[in-house]
Amino acid sequence: MRIIVDGTPVEFAAGDNVLGAMLRAGLRPTSGGCLCLGGDCPHCLATVDGIAYVRTCQTAARPGLIVQSFPDDGYPPLPAGSTREPAVTARNIHCDVVVIGQGAAGRAAAAAARQAGKQVVTLDASAGEEVIGIYAGPLVVARTAAGMLHAHPRVEIIVATGAAEIQPVAPGNDLAGILTARAAEALVAAGVDLGRVVAVGTPPAGIKVEQAEGELLRFEGTLRVAGVVMRDRNGSERRYACDTAVVGLGMQPRDALLRMGQGLAVRAVGDAARASDMPPCPLAGTVCACSGVTVADLESAWQRGFHELELVKRSTLAGTGTCQGMACMPHVRSFLAARGGSLQPPFTARPVTRQLTMGEASAGSHHQAVPRTALDGEHRRLGAQMDRIGGWWRPWHYGNPLREYWAVREAVSIGDVSTLGKMQVSGPDALELLERLYPTRVKSIAPGTARYVLMLNDRGYIFDDGLICCDGANRYSLTFTSGGASFAELWVRDWAESWKLDVRILNQTMALGAINVTGPLAKELLARAGLPNAPKYMQLASALVAGVQCRVHRLSFTGELSYELHHPAEHSVVLWRQLLELGKDLGIKPHGLQTLLQLRLEKGHIIVGQDSDFDSTARRVDMEWAVKLDKPEFVGRQAVVRTNKVSLDRQLTGFEMEGVAPIEGSSIHFGSEYAGYVTSSFTSPVLGKAVMLGWLRLFDGKLPDAVLIDGRSAQRVPVPFYDKAGGRARV
Amino acid sequence: MTRLAAGPVFERVLTTRIVAMPAALDAARWPAGHVALRTAADEVLITPPLADARVADEHAIVLADGSFFGGWIAPALALAVLERECEWEVPHARPAFAQGMVAGLPVKLWLESERVLVLVAAPFAHDLAERFVA
Repeated sequence: MRIIVDGTPVEFAAGDNVLGAMLRAGLRPTSGGCLCLGGDCPHCLATVDGIAYVRTCQTAARPGLIVQSFPDDGYPPLPAGSTREPAVTARNIHCDVVVIGQGAAGRAAAAAARQAGKQVVTLDASAGEEVIGIYAGPLVVARTAAGMLHAHPRVEIIVATGAAEIQPVAPGNDLAGILTARAAEALVAAGVDLGRVVAVGTPPAGIKVEQAEGELLRFEGTLRVAGVVMRDRNGSERRYACDTAVVGLGMQPRDALLRMGQGLAVRAVGDAARASDMPPCPLAGTVCACSGVTVADLESAWQRGFHELELVKRSTLAGTGTCQGMACMPHVRSFLAARGGSLQPPFTARPVTRQLTMGEASAGSHHQAVPRTALDGEHRRLGAQMDRIGGWWRPWHYGNPLREYWAVREAVSIGDVSTLGKMQVSGPDALELLERLYPTRVKSIAPGTARYVLMLNDRGYIFDDGLICCDGANRYSLTFTSGGASFAELWVRDWAESWKLDVRILNQTMALGAINVTGPLAKELLARAGLPNAPKYMQLASALVAGVQCRVHRLSFTGELSYELHHPAEHSVVLWRQLLELGKDLGIKPHGLQTLLQLRLEKGHIIVGQDSDFDSTARRVDMEWAVKLDKPEFVGRQAVVRTNKVSLDRQLTGFEMEGVAPIEGSSIHFGSEYAGYVTSSFTSPVLGKAVMLGWLRLFDGKLPDAVLIDGRSAQRVPVPFYDKAGGRARV
Repeated sequence: MTRLAAGPVFERVLTTRIVAMPAALDAARWPAGHVALRTAADEVLITPPLADARVADEHAIVLADGSFFGGWIAPALALAVLERECEWEVPHARPAFAQGMVAGLPVKLWLESERVLVLVAAPFAHDLAERFVA
């Protein structure tokens, strides 16, 4: 049986791991370093079957396995070309106790838990169940031959992962031919000839060695170790010639998973719970082979004031590499103890303890699902360029935004506004709730009418806007922005609960479709659809439109005669198609979000979140008319009263300039001074010039009239830019 | 992800949706043959929809609702998918109602011994069909 190592077949015996087979053939996966054969060190890594950073000592050899050694310096190359591997699946299991490790201590812990009536799951790396992390939940994630395993223990996690041998730190520790004692024992048992062996520290069992006496100074050799130099108690150096150096420097707990589970019900048993042996303070050589950190680097960090283990880790990157500190941590702790006089606890461990493929890391995960309106298929069928906006898939345009624009301004158009937040509120305290939430006088909204409203947070800043519609006594419908709907629901429910008000709240955002019928011929289209008497401006009515039961809102965001048709989403397609059919000879076209945003800009309507900022007050966006401070109470009122006492420092303002509009975000200057930035911009076809909204600073208490935007002259003008008298919208 | 040639068929599920005082919903009794999913203390979804839905709350919001997609599927298929796609523990009792993220989607489950009802809000129907496969 053979594996293929760097293109050459290599024999292996039954029971061999890849590393054992390679060493028997005189090969190594990496250039050097002390091998542990316990999966703890970073010195046996190779690319195996196309996957880099595989610990060859933990990988069973099997016929045809392809192994590529790591380069002597640098990183393993990325796979050439694009590969599409089958998705790695995750399996979830629920239990009382997860026991990690099935040595003697792990088996005993599992048996005790079972005896106590607990449902136990055991995970054992030697059986191919390699735990790579413990997460809050708690959740234990393991890599298995069948994919990733997500174990969810209800009671506790027991770490029984044993102990690892301490690696040597001395000049020359990156040579080949250095082994830990357990590694040497395992290789001899597997028939690997170690040649002349010198033992440093506790010798391996059952192997003939020459014992090196004294303090380890360095390993000597070219590529491979040829001798070990020790200093005896008299200070004299002695060199021990060898083919293999075996080190027995003590043990440290394999407790990374325990340290990873801080704050969770995780405990260690057996050797995983033992204290670490402390090696002598390292004097020279590489401490962390993964990140190439030397004793000199530790000294430099110390001199620069990094004295805490966690800071030294971050400063030097020792412990952040492939082995996650298994090789270096005892030495770094020893170094800091020698410098600082006290032994610091091990650093926090974080997932993952093993290198994962992207497939393994993403197993059980999905892209965030982006909701689609009921008209999503219609938009795609019409050739719309779809984009994710405001948390939904929405049509940006249908191929010719200018035609869509003119359809609205001169004929009729329909747009999908199903994404708007929609909510019903009813109950004896419905009015009370809305009065407290909104800065408008809700009581004055008559049944069958609607009002545009701002939503303020408790600091008086605008976080959303929409409509309040009065459906009758103690019944209201609310709308919110598409992107703000989820938070708005939390906001309304939270306040209703906090105030202990007797209300019923239903979020209908996903249940109701909404189509905006807009343009000077909108009324004609609705008449053809069976609605001859459409409601007047800011009024609403229930009616059949093209056979679909709708709530018809008469409003205008585009600046033209507009009706929003809210209806059960399951009827959206029928209504949409009917409207397009009925409006054919009226020049109807659907419009996308790009056109909608341009149309509303011509009217000076703000988009919360685009034109407003996190600290935008009604005064700053020049919409104080929407905040009724003569109301005794509403969320944000006290803050508005307080901030109104401070001089206005900036305001959202309209600008015009000749030519093509500068991009959104362009800076605004007054003379040579920075004065603000553009939030929305568009070259208006109907006006023949660029129109913008932007934040403008006050200078000496006044807003400048003439500014430079993107280096070009612009004039501050009042909004709206289009149809200033509002005759088209309110017709 | 391995797909079966014939996966579950999901379609719009019609319900009666009621938002009312919890006490009124606690006291309400629904006709036999209807499944009532208590999605919140103050909300219940009933499928198939009721011809005449009444609760003892004059301010209740009662609507015919077609805003969910889903369908009844075999328990073996449901549990196979849930084992892979559901991080939380599904109730063992039957019947049982549960809701939470499954395959990254906000899913409602009604688990009976012989069948399982899977529901998502209609805007996630596309993702449900793509992700809820054997």
